[in-house]
Amino acid sequence: MLGDNSVRLADDSTVPADRVPASLIPIVRRFSRRLRIGLFLDAFPQWAAGALLAAGCAALVCRLFVPAADPYLFWLLAAPALAILPAAVLSIRRAYRPEEVLALVDALTGGDGAVLTLAERHDQAWSHASQISRAAHAALPRFRPWRRFTIVVPALAFLVIAVLLPQRTPTAGPLPIADDVVSGLSATLKELQSHDLVTPEEEKQLQQEIERVRKAAQERMDASAWEAADAVKEKMAANAAAKRDAASWAQEALARYSAAGGSAGNPDAASAKAEFSKALEALARSGAPLDIQKMLAAGKLPGDAASLGKLAAALGQYLGDVQGRLGDVQGFGGRASRFDPSEFAAAGEGDGAGAGNTPGRGGITRGRADAKLTYGQESLPAERFKAQALPPGYVRSPDDWAPVVNMPGAPIVAPEASGRAAARAYAEDAGQAAWRRTLAPRHQSAVKKYFKP
Amino acid sequence: MITDTRPLLDPDAVGTAQTSIARVVDALRRVILGKEDTIDEVVAALLGRGHVLLEGLPGLGKTELVKALSRLLSIDFRRIQFTPDLLPTDITGSHILQDVDGRKEFAFHAGPVFTNLLLADEINRASPKTQAALLEAMQERRVTIFGETRPLPLPFFVLATQNPIELEGTYPLPEAQLDRFMFKVDVAGVDRAVLEEILTTRVHGEPPVLTPVLDAAGLQRLFDAVDAVHMPRAVANYTSRLVAATHPESSDAPPQVRQFVKYGSSPRGAIAIGAAARGLALMRGKPNVGFDEIRRVAPAALSHRLVLDYSARLEGWTGRRLLAALIEAVPDVERGLPQTLEART
Repeated sequence: MLGDNSVRLADDSTVPADRVPASLIPIVRRFSRRLRIGLFLDAFPQWAAGALLAAGCAALVCRLFVPAADPYLFWLLAAPALAILPAAVLSIRRAYRPEEVLALVDALTGGDGAVLTLAERHDQAWSHASQISRAAHAALPRFRPWRRFTIVVPALAFLVIAVLLPQRTPTAGPLPIADDVVSGLSATLKELQSHDLVTPEEEKQLQQEIERVRKAAQERMDASAWEAADAVKEKMAANAAAKRDAASWAQEALARYSAAGGSAGNPDAASAKAEFSKALEALARSGAPLDIQKMLAAGKLPGDAASLGKLAAALGQYLGDVQGRLGDVQGFGGRASRFDPSEFAAAGEGDGAGAGNTPGRGGITRGRADAKLTYGQESLPAERFKAQALPPGYVRSPDDWAPVVNMPGAPIVAPEASGRAAARAYAEDAGQAAWRRTLAPRHQSAVKKYFKP
Repeated sequence: MITDTRPLLDPDAVGTAQTSIARVVDALRRVILGKEDTIDEVVAALLGRGHVLLEGLPGLGKTELVKALSRLLSIDFRRIQFTPDLLPTDITGSHILQDVDGRKEFAFHAGPVFTNLLLADEINRASPKTQAALLEAMQERRVTIFGETRPLPLPFFVLATQNPIELEGTYPLPEAQLDRFMFKVDVAGVDRAVLEEILTTRVHGEPPVLTPVLDAAGLQRLFDAVDAVHMPRAVANYTSRLVAATHPESSDAPPQVRQFVKYGSSPRGAIAIGAAARGLALMRGKPNVGFDEIRRVAPAALSHRLVLDYSARLEGWTGRRLLAALIEAVPDVERGLPQTLEART
């Protein structure tokens, strides 16, 4: 009520108090207030559900991509509070006009038009009419907000689930994995360099291949990246082994060449010379030391014993050196292979010697080759299933049968299942009713005879 | 906006009017037993100065009701038994050549329509031409004969009866003429208790002798009081929504109306509801019309104004039944409660 002159019905509308009987003013005010709350409760659940859904989506995004937001996510549960403002604005904009409030009061409180009439045409003579007093003491409409709030429940559940989801930890992307793949290759190449086991050309080629493997792994990380890395490693190991083989072949060829004596008429000497030449060429390709390179650059093989001895000594030293260096990288060389069981030997299993002693226990060697194909202490089939003689068969007499249970009630009988009854029951469906119904009895036999001669 | 600034009827005036009306109603109820609703509707229409079409089977008291009404009101009463050979001039009257002071001249002989209360018995038995003779009289309350317009005495009411069966040799009233009737009252049969009471209280079925309870001046005072009954704007809004919803193309029309009604009510239907509701409110001792009065008179005022689709007949939908569905569907107040509020019953 604004002073003594008006009754406030909504935020911006009033009805002059002298238009409404004094006995009606309290109920009109309470009704108006209840309508405003009702309008707010009409609007709020939708906005609250929207806010909860938006908050749930935000929580989901944070759980997936923004780990730093983890400590603040529970604040999103306060999202419905944000819906209060738009719901309030909406309810104010939709507020009932005074005449609408009075019409509702009249219609719902049994005013029977009297409330409206007195508001429109105030007349003190009728202000104590029975309809007015009935309306003044009528019960106000009750709140039933829960049906409207049911839409909030799934939205709230969505938000709670999103907030309670475990935070997703960022996993390493392809780049670190790619570096990991090629790190072993780079280390291998560096070790080969330090032992002077690669030529500059080989080093350049290997660097290119390692880079290619790394790029491929960055683009797509799968088993093929690891296989490519293994292939490069095998190539490195093969190169190193080729150096050792070349030196060894050269030394052996030199020994045969020395034993042949280098005489021109001796056919063994010619073949030994040719082999020695090829061995030296292979040695040169695999990166021979400078003194041997100079020796080969001269273009002819030494023929005297002193030169041969000197060359043999140089080759021997080179071979020993290469073998020593390869020996230094033996462990590395082993790792360079595609599969090294010793790398995967589990604690206590050793290299298979101990594990192989217990058949069926497995280990990386899968046991001895002669181990039985059993897996422990299980019994043999022959021992498990023992033959047992059955008693001699006999024919049971019907008298031996005894009822298991007596069901109450009459037995279920389906008379329509029997032939004649079924024919009667389904006669109409079978088309027999037509001629029976539409034909006079004296004509039925003629028609039947026509169709069934 | 035009505002009605007339004062409300004072309680004494309403009480006096209600007493007068109650005397008429009580007397009618003594004559016609077990027809309280029918009597209320007829009296409400009478107070609203409207014409009534009574439809019912023979012997249900239609004619007796009108005759009783004429005896209770000290106004002129005529009865026309409609037959197929009835001519318009039999109703309106005609000029007759007669000797006046030695000269031959036409003299007008007024027909039975020149009365206050006209009982048009079995109106659907007359030819359309004769029925149409009543059109101008009912709407304009005047008659034009040979280019000469003559006003009818006021008040002027037509209470017509018709039989819904025995349709052979009848001429159903056209929609335009039906629209002239404020109410179409369906006179239903009586139950066993009423029959028993008739048998025990009536000799040869003769009704009790009635004495007039209201003269023309008293009737005019009632009409003035009815005119002063206030119709609140919200109630008028409800009436207009109700009438608008009888049109199948209206957005407020319930599905039954959309399916079964071809044409809805004319504005004359809303006017009839307003007038009759005012009369009913006065009968109930109220200075104003309420939602309940509108709901009470709407079926009688609108049922004959709906032009139903043929499918309505097939599915057994009558005007009254459709209006019951309509009243159920249209809320009293245009803007209802918020969805979170529930009215207490």
